[in-house]
Amino acid sequence: MGGTARRRLEAAILAVIVVGVAIVPLTHSRLLLYNFTITPIYAMVVISLNIVLGTAGQVSFAQTTFMAIGGYGSALLTTRLGFNPWLALAASAVLALATAEIIGRPLLRLRGHYLAMATFALALGTNSFVTAATPLTNGSIGISGVPALAIGGLSFDDPVNFYALCWIMCALAMAVYALLVRSHIGRAWRALATGQDIAATLGIDVTHYKVLAFAIGAVIASLAGSLYVEYTSFVGPDLYDIGIVLNILLMLFIGGRGSHVGPVIGAALLTLAPQLLAGLERYQNLVFFIFLLLLILIWPAGLFGRVRDSGPLETMLPAWMRRRRREAGP
Amino acid sequence: MNQAAHLRVERIAVRYGRIDALHPISFDAAPGSLTLVLGPNGAGKTTLVKALAGAVPLRAGRVLLGGGDISWVPAHRRVRRGIALVPEGRGRLPGLSVRDNLVLGWHAAARDRRASRGDDLAAALDLFPALKQRLDQDCSTLSGGEMQMLAIARALLAKPVVLLLDEPSLGLAPLAVARVYEALAKLVAGGLSMVLVEQKAVPLRSSQESTIVLQNGRVVFQESRRPTSEELAALYLGERAA
Repeated sequence: MGGTARRRLEAAILAVIVVGVAIVPLTHSRLLLYNFTITPIYAMVVISLNIVLGTAGQVSFAQTTFMAIGGYGSALLTTRLGFNPWLALAASAVLALATAEIIGRPLLRLRGHYLAMATFALALGTNSFVTAATPLTNGSIGISGVPALAIGGLSFDDPVNFYALCWIMCALAMAVYALLVRSHIGRAWRALATGQDIAATLGIDVTHYKVLAFAIGAVIASLAGSLYVEYTSFVGPDLYDIGIVLNILLMLFIGGRGSHVGPVIGAALLTLAPQLLAGLERYQNLVFFIFLLLLILIWPAGLFGRVRDSGPLETMLPAWMRRRRREAGP
Repeated sequence: MNQAAHLRVERIAVRYGRIDALHPISFDAAPGSLTLVLGPNGAGKTTLVKALAGAVPLRAGRVLLGGGDISWVPAHRRVRRGIALVPEGRGRLPGLSVRDNLVLGWHAAARDRRASRGDDLAAALDLFPALKQRLDQDCSTLSGGEMQMLAIARALLAKPVVLLLDEPSLGLAPLAVARVYEALAKLVAGGLSMVLVEQKAVPLRSSQESTIVLQNGRVVFQESRRPTSEELAALYLGERAA
């Protein structure tokens, strides 16, 4: 599949998403509406990881840290300081941006496994911090009663309105991603992802572009974190635990790194998986992980990722079977 | 001639941990000159060009370009000053198209030295017409020779005054080597200063040329003439026996 075919497929999937998003409120199913409100929120986090990992090639587990800044920022600023929810959302995003700039510079000098370990520690540390810092965060009980967003008379307390808002924000994040990857910034990110030293000799300030990816990702993840908390009116440490860290990573790897629609599909599949597999009861997780294993073997680059990563299926067969296949051929 | 393009290397040395990868080395490269750096594997040739490109830090010495000290200028800013590197292994960037590679090179050039993107790309493709049909292909689909041409075209788009080439003939078929050297000859004739690293003697000639032979990080030969093949064999083997 060449570049053009991939673009056509992505455009077709995008059309399917748009139609799906329009149909869901018409079903009047509260469960469906809930799931498809959570989907764009997680999709935004996955898009932010797609910038950092999928495009700039920096393995980072830190997206939940920035979600937590958005979530706790919104909750604390509105409930304790009486901020307008929009202002709280924006202020949290600025805080996430500043945090990414400050911790990104030293952190992103690390490469590969070292960066992965350092950001993993950051994600675990975030969870521990919000659990332990009881006076600020109310510990594991969390903070409830976070007020909903509103524009003039239009309240996003209404589930359908909030649903629409989340998809608009997700569409904006997708547009930002699309614009960035097509620009010189995106080209520089892709270059440093595969050859950091080569990128430097091509005039690319490697640290600057890494921090840029990290910071843009932080803002998007923080906005998503705020939206989630505004939606459920609650924030607690469980929203940022290790399971979520892995889920976000899975959403990106299933959807496909470096793809435009992949994050949305990955987020939708993982959000819906518990319902889709509910009939299997205690075998639910087993079936899910078998599916995941097969997916990674067949499409290592994810459903909509770059195909060049995947090898021919034949190489997975044992040697004696491969020989037989060759004999059977012309 | 243009003095801003004069590269002067003053007793630079590089150390990796506790190993001296490059003992003090000095040379001058005037515009239009060819500096040939020969030596066996592990002699310090790659370290030398990396040090000039700013990819490894200097332990001692200075690198001057047009009289200005650039020893502490990081790699990404040395490109704008006019030092471009064609790295060992051809600098493959899988996932990027041929066009992406060329545009990256164009972006690396100082603004006052480059023309419009279309004009500069067209000029680069005139030198390497084989790349024309491959513009929208992933560069990892190129043959070794094509990739080497792309790496050189990309470096040239950065409008260098000094071009560093690290073993451009390594692993290439004889025909591809001939094509690459044909293009390099045009560039030297065009007044570009070139520092060329190879393991073996090369067909490229210039009116102002010098040859440096490295062995275990030390200069064992530095003259304006080429060493004869007997001399070269003795230089390569001599140190090994010692």
